[in-house]
Amino acid sequence: MRDLATSQRVVCPCCEANLCEHKPNPVQRATAFSLAALAFYFVAHFFPFLSLEVGARSNEISLFRSAGALNDFGNPGLAFVVAVFIIAAPAALIGGSLYVLLPLLWGHALPGAKLVCRWVYDAGPWNMIEVFMLGILVSMLKLTKIATVHLGVSFWAFALLIVCLTASFGAIERLELWRRLEHAVGGLR
Amino acid sequence: MSVRSQRFPGHTAAARGLAACHVCGKVAPVDSGSCPRCGAGLHLRKPKSLQRTMALTLAACVLYVPANLLPVMTVESLTDGAEASSIIEGVVTFWTTGAYPVAVIIFIASIVIPILKILSILSLCMAARSNRRPIGATRIYRLTEIVGRWSMVDVFVVAILVSVVQLGTLMSIKPGPAALAFCSVVVLTMLAAHTFDQRLIWDAAGEQPDELK
Repeated sequence: MRDLATSQRVVCPCCEANLCEHKPNPVQRATAFSLAALAFYFVAHFFPFLSLEVGARSNEISLFRSAGALNDFGNPGLAFVVAVFIIAAPAALIGGSLYVLLPLLWGHALPGAKLVCRWVYDAGPWNMIEVFMLGILVSMLKLTKIATVHLGVSFWAFALLIVCLTASFGAIERLELWRRLEHAVGGLR
Repeated sequence: MSVRSQRFPGHTAAARGLAACHVCGKVAPVDSGSCPRCGAGLHLRKPKSLQRTMALTLAACVLYVPANLLPVMTVESLTDGAEASSIIEGVVTFWTTGAYPVAVIIFIASIVIPILKILSILSLCMAARSNRRPIGATRIYRLTEIVGRWSMVDVFVVAILVSVVQLGTLMSIKPGPAALAFCSVVVLTMLAAHTFDQRLIWDAAGEQPDELK
């Protein structure tokens, strides 16, 4: 993997899948994007993403409170869906990847790093924040007919969170991360 | 060992009893049972891949019916009373009110993608039995994996509307039973795509690039 030059990549001769390509400073870049994602995660989840005004009444809601609100209104099923796909999965991705990546900057691995790394890649497909973002836009269009709708600050943080999470996972390849992790764990023994 | 070399002919890692770990990609002897690097179970192919994929897809087919027939949400307002609508009725409403882009997005995400996804998973299961164009089937598989999650958009729209539009007697929105049924369809098809081992397509084709023969 280290022998690949810039813009070179290895491709499967059968199915043409990308096996690996040259990525500069993978751990550093992935860590940087994960840290940025962590900051955006807090803004995106604790500030209002949509506010609604009908006459004198107004209502605004943050992502973090929306799961609780769904549960309070008697929809534990939907609350669970939002809690898992929008709150827990991205949190697991960010927290887990920082747990693995930060010590790797100095060539170390924390206890259980391998298990956490497995969880991070298992959680990957269940993180649906970009789908949720489209959902916010659609429901905004649906609501403009009945009320005045404002997008909150969290909406923009959400967009940046998507960019940073995608960039973080794009900066380092799964196989490269595992190779470095194996090296770091071996160094501890 | 002889059974294995019959099933995996040629100079491949599988023919020599080497498997790549599903989790971390390390190549190790499959007879050792678990990956020396990450501890995950080692298999040449995902165990019972086709049976599991078919079972999950069938479950998704069954749930697809209530997901489309039952109401996905009910709007209760002071002026119009309670009004329940299914997914397809929601699309029609958007279309008739002139919101064409939204109507198209919801139609593709909620109606077209789930059907195409179920059909393509079934066709992949066929392709894993006998297959002449493995590269085509592989492309279908990749597309299925990428596109599937976007079907969740309608479920999220309902969740957002229900949590935001709570204005007491003036107007409130309640989710219908179809929302969770639809969510289950998406989750089941995602699991079905995940349990499918795409290398089965290439096993069925028996095709290898010249340099490996």
